[in-house]
Amino acid sequence: MSGYILKRLLSMLPILAVVAVVVFLIVHLTPGDPAAVMLGDEAGEKEIAELRAQLGLDLPLVVQFFHWLANVVQGDLGRSYFSDVPVTQAFWEHLGPTVSVAIMAQIIAILIAIPIGIVAARRRGTMIDQAVMGVSLFGISVPSFLLGLFLILLFAVQLKWLPVAGYKPLSQGVWNHVRYLILPALALGFMQAALIARMTRSSMLDIIADPYIKTARAKGLKERIVIYKHALRNAFIPILTVIGETFGGLVTGAAVVETVFNIPGIGQLIISSVERRDYAVIQGTVLLITVTYVLLNLLIDLLYGIVDPRVRLNRKER
Amino acid sequence: MEKRRSLFTDSPLKKKLLPVLLASVFALTACGSQMTGGNSVEGNAASSSTSAQGTSAQAESPTSGGVINIAYPAKAATLDPHTTTNASTKDIARQIFEPLVTLNSKYEVVPMLAESYEVSQDGLSITFPLRKGVKFHNGKEMTADDVVASMNKWLKVSTQGKANLSGATFTAKDPSTVVLTLQKPSLLTLHILADTAPFPAIMPKEIIEESGVEAVKTFIGTGPFQLEEWKQDQYVHLKKYQDYSPRSEASDGLGGKKEALVDDLYFRYVTDESTRVAGITTGEYDIAFSIPFDNAEQIENSPDVSSFVSEGGMTTFVFNKKSGLFSNIKARQAVNAALDLEEILISAYRDSRYYTLDSGLALPNQSDWHSQAGKEEYNQHNLEKAKQLLAESGYKGEEVTILVTRDYPDYYNAAVVAQQQLQAIGLNAKLDVYDWPTMQERRKDEKVWDFFVVGFAVRPTLHQLPFLDSRGGYPGWTNSPEIDKLLDEIQSAPSIAEAKPLVDQLQDLVWQELPIIKLGNRVNMAAVANHVQGLQDVIGPILWNVSTTKK
Repeated sequence: MSGYILKRLLSMLPILAVVAVVVFLIVHLTPGDPAAVMLGDEAGEKEIAELRAQLGLDLPLVVQFFHWLANVVQGDLGRSYFSDVPVTQAFWEHLGPTVSVAIMAQIIAILIAIPIGIVAARRRGTMIDQAVMGVSLFGISVPSFLLGLFLILLFAVQLKWLPVAGYKPLSQGVWNHVRYLILPALALGFMQAALIARMTRSSMLDIIADPYIKTARAKGLKERIVIYKHALRNAFIPILTVIGETFGGLVTGAAVVETVFNIPGIGQLIISSVERRDYAVIQGTVLLITVTYVLLNLLIDLLYGIVDPRVRLNRKER
Repeated sequence: MEKRRSLFTDSPLKKKLLPVLLASVFALTACGSQMTGGNSVEGNAASSSTSAQGTSAQAESPTSGGVINIAYPAKAATLDPHTTTNASTKDIARQIFEPLVTLNSKYEVVPMLAESYEVSQDGLSITFPLRKGVKFHNGKEMTADDVVASMNKWLKVSTQGKANLSGATFTAKDPSTVVLTLQKPSLLTLHILADTAPFPAIMPKEIIEESGVEAVKTFIGTGPFQLEEWKQDQYVHLKKYQDYSPRSEASDGLGGKKEALVDDLYFRYVTDESTRVAGITTGEYDIAFSIPFDNAEQIENSPDVSSFVSEGGMTTFVFNKKSGLFSNIKARQAVNAALDLEEILISAYRDSRYYTLDSGLALPNQSDWHSQAGKEEYNQHNLEKAKQLLAESGYKGEEVTILVTRDYPDYYNAAVVAQQQLQAIGLNAKLDVYDWPTMQERRKDEKVWDFFVVGFAVRPTLHQLPFLDSRGGYPGWTNSPEIDKLLDEIQSAPSIAEAKPLVDQLQDLVWQELPIIKLGNRVNMAAVANHVQGLQDVIGPILWNVSTTKK
């Protein structure tokens, strides 16, 4: 087990190396100048050049890359050009809201998706099945920012049930925290729900056709037990994979929803940094997101073993 | 190498990693719409100008206390106004800090922390007696030492100080008097000192000295509000400064009596414009800046909210005079003759209430600088004349590139209409559209564009419009010794009144030589809850003397 984890952690290194090079190049080859953004439009070329030199941006790209890499290897991702805060600090400060939204969105997605996926599987070919699949196709297709704006219009502007936008940390009360998260989580969770529902349906369909389910029914078990205890548990591995992958997507892909709902999360940090051409923050944040993503996937792989004893890893590691 | 490649390509992680890369690529390309209200105009930015009163701005009897939540579009890098011209810094810093002199609603210079000012006979020194009993937010009384330290740093680090007051120094004559000594007299000096960005905020000497040439990290001023908390990228919380000592004159623009009528001000960063609109209509925010013109009707139909317009400066086409077709003055004149500015402005600003047709480089209420000279060249819409001028220029049908950004929809819409109008005279015009930072970068290269669309904020003097002076090197590269000479003559004129004929000549010359084409004056739009009273604007919002009846 520990050997497997070590191997997986080591396999992160080439991935991180590739991401580091690609992000560095994309960021530095994009036109725009952080010094010009910081000084404002009136700044002359001389002042911009002075600030560029101060920030080390006047050095050749290769030199800049190796400076950055040398610091990254020592755990120093640099400081934001714009706000002069260490990149790791900016990342941690923005991670909380993103994770809060992601967890809430995932809970909503799971609560909606698994029951309707099961219903669709059990009622395969009926109107209910077609309706569920139709809605889930809509869920996959509609962009989350559009859904977000509709949700704002309906629940915040028209009905005035929930706030339009913003974020309150948990320290300001649980309900206050949750109240601000419901709409963004719905906007974000809807697409995840659609993906999970489709996977639940197809995975359940496979399992329900297995002989052991027939056996279970034949021996007179209640349908609820057949479905939830015998079928769902066995159908859960692919569902868990989708949940894991979509959770990663929730953490990393919330940029647009965070902007619409004004949530100070990682997505907003990246978008603001791109606008400001704050290279250090973009590079550092994307690297940290990559690490988070890879670790999350490792966690999911380890969870397989808990859900399904057949894939426990220590057996393979003799 | 092979091994590394196979590890990456064979791993199941490849599929899982894709969204990360896509997200970063997306983030790099999707930076357009968030910038509205950032630095949309040259020189200064997002906000606006003069004491234009919004419909909600008439206070009946101001009450005090309460909280105002402001939805503000752009995030600040620093709250130190010495080091940047960005509006996101200036709009907040002006509530915290004060300068020696400032601007009233007619853009005239009036004293603020200075009791008064006196210019010497030879114009080489200006004496500022300071107001007594003014306290910083840390409780310390302001003295000449603080002013000298602050002003000398501003002269050294700010774009305005370096460009206009080179070699000038401040010295303390006594604990409550400072003297500015100049290398050469200039009619503009006081206007430059009163400019709003980068504005010469007075801070305690210790803080200035500690910061060296960099932006200060501690924000202690003398203004009616003090900084309570700055949560990076989320909000800036200002609190009423209880020991504030106001001037006795009536409030006028940025000058006169200031009083913090609310206890707390929150500038909340809301970068998405739809969210600002939704938030103000539901009462989440009390003031929302940078409201898109498309939402004006929605705001006006909302029962609890009113629109607030303020002067936003001018929108222009800036020609490339260094290279390509428009290095030929005839071609520039052809474009100027062809344009139907009314049609361009209505498509950019949606409603005739949001722009004015005006040929002056200064706003009509900038009494010191406004001139109508050359207005016969403005908004001609004479296609025959345009075609003839174009033929005289020797134009052979080559492609003409209009550089524009979609980050500011008004610029983009103006460019689209102009493109059609220019095609009507046979000009092969195409649009080259980028995000704002990329456009800023591209316009430095004279080979890749012919004219670009941009706005300029209201400036206290004409000299601060960057496109006029050839020596400034502003993209477009005006190259007119005559314009430069007139700028110098105005600067060395003994008084504003005596400079007036020169201002007329300058204005006339600009319409002859056409370094730019001024399209018209625009407004900025904000939305204000009806329970908020007293909001004003002079090149940015004024939040002292603003009250709320919501408690």
